[in-house]
Amino acid sequence: MKELRLVVQKFDPFSDAAPRLVEYAVPRREGMTVLDALLYARDYVDHSIGLRFSCRQASCGSCGMKINGRPRLACYTQVDELGAEKVVAQPLDNFAIIKDLVTDLGSFFQRHREVTPRLVRDDAQEQDHPTGEYLMKPEELSRVLQFTYCIKCGLCTSSCPTVATDERFPGPQALAQAYRYTADVRDQGGAERMAELDGTHGIWRCHFAGSCSYVCPKGVDPALGIQLLKRHVMSGRPPHSKDDATKVWKPAEKQQ
Amino acid sequence: MSSGAEGKAKNRRGLSGWLNPYHYNFERWAYVFQRVTGVAILAYVIGHLGDTSFFVGGPTGTGPSESSWTFISGLVENSFGHLILILVVLVVIFHGANGIRLIVSELGLILGRPSPIEYPYRPKSLRSVQRVLIWVAIALALVGTGWAVLILFGGSI
Repeated sequence: MKELRLVVQKFDPFSDAAPRLVEYAVPRREGMTVLDALLYARDYVDHSIGLRFSCRQASCGSCGMKINGRPRLACYTQVDELGAEKVVAQPLDNFAIIKDLVTDLGSFFQRHREVTPRLVRDDAQEQDHPTGEYLMKPEELSRVLQFTYCIKCGLCTSSCPTVATDERFPGPQALAQAYRYTADVRDQGGAERMAELDGTHGIWRCHFAGSCSYVCPKGVDPALGIQLLKRHVMSGRPPHSKDDATKVWKPAEKQQ
Repeated sequence: MSSGAEGKAKNRRGLSGWLNPYHYNFERWAYVFQRVTGVAILAYVIGHLGDTSFFVGGPTGTGPSESSWTFISGLVENSFGHLILILVVLVVIFHGANGIRLIVSELGLILGRPSPIEYPYRPKSLRSVQRVLIWVAIALALVGTGWAVLILFGGSI
């Protein structure tokens, strides 16, 4: 059986002075993902490999790591598609390392929370106790749909050259979600959301390197969302009027 | 945890994070080149201000002495100086043209609209008109450079 050379960056901040690369021989088979190879190495060769994964189908975003130099999901990357004899797995850049391939996404999730990633209504009573369902047309949905596919895996933020140098930059994931909610016709919180992001360390720190969109495994295209946010700021017009959000479908008994 | 290990555990890439476009997309290469050429052009402009202001007055006026004039002229008026000037033409034209692409892109005008994704997936923003414009910037820079070569090494035009 053909063997795969799997190289894993190992580093325990509590006991190691520096990261080191360790090579494992793994039996290679057709259709094998990088996660399969890592699990084989962990189960049969070195039980100490630190590895995080869950769904194995690119839905949970747990197994993001740098594979052969580029951020990818280990479960969504087949060994064959890499076209290399050697697979090198390293932790995601720009995230603190907990151990080996496991990175700390805590600050990343915090950035996400800071852009108010939910529909906001002017009416506090309506916000907590909606009187009905808010309606969208298909074309209004298509404006935000691809941004809703984000699984918060951190690949975009890991690839971003601005995140690499500016700790206060929210990162492509959070900004793409800011666009996703601001452009949603059911949302009325765009102005407040943008007041936070229209600053030195906000959307204007993005210089459109496009790497976030390049590495995104879910087709979110964060770079597009961020540029569209800039467009809304520069044009002085919100993505939609506040009145757009008034179309509410109420259950039959409430309509009477 | 030792302090060195703590720094490594943070894993933030810093300068190497934006300087290294390897493994990434074409726009990332343009991004790195844009920033590096920006710094290079700034350095050139500062130097250029210095050497041109030195010539004010000329060798026969109230400016520099004839020997200083000859020395400064000698720095530029040779093949190496001309090569530097050609390089300046290359990076200035690329930086300017690519900068216009970025300004228009960052207004969200040439990136396409969000749309339902189809597989095999390629991000819309990375296959829009803006990518063609990177090639246009490169072409303009090369044409300008060719012209500069003709002027500096091909005699008078």
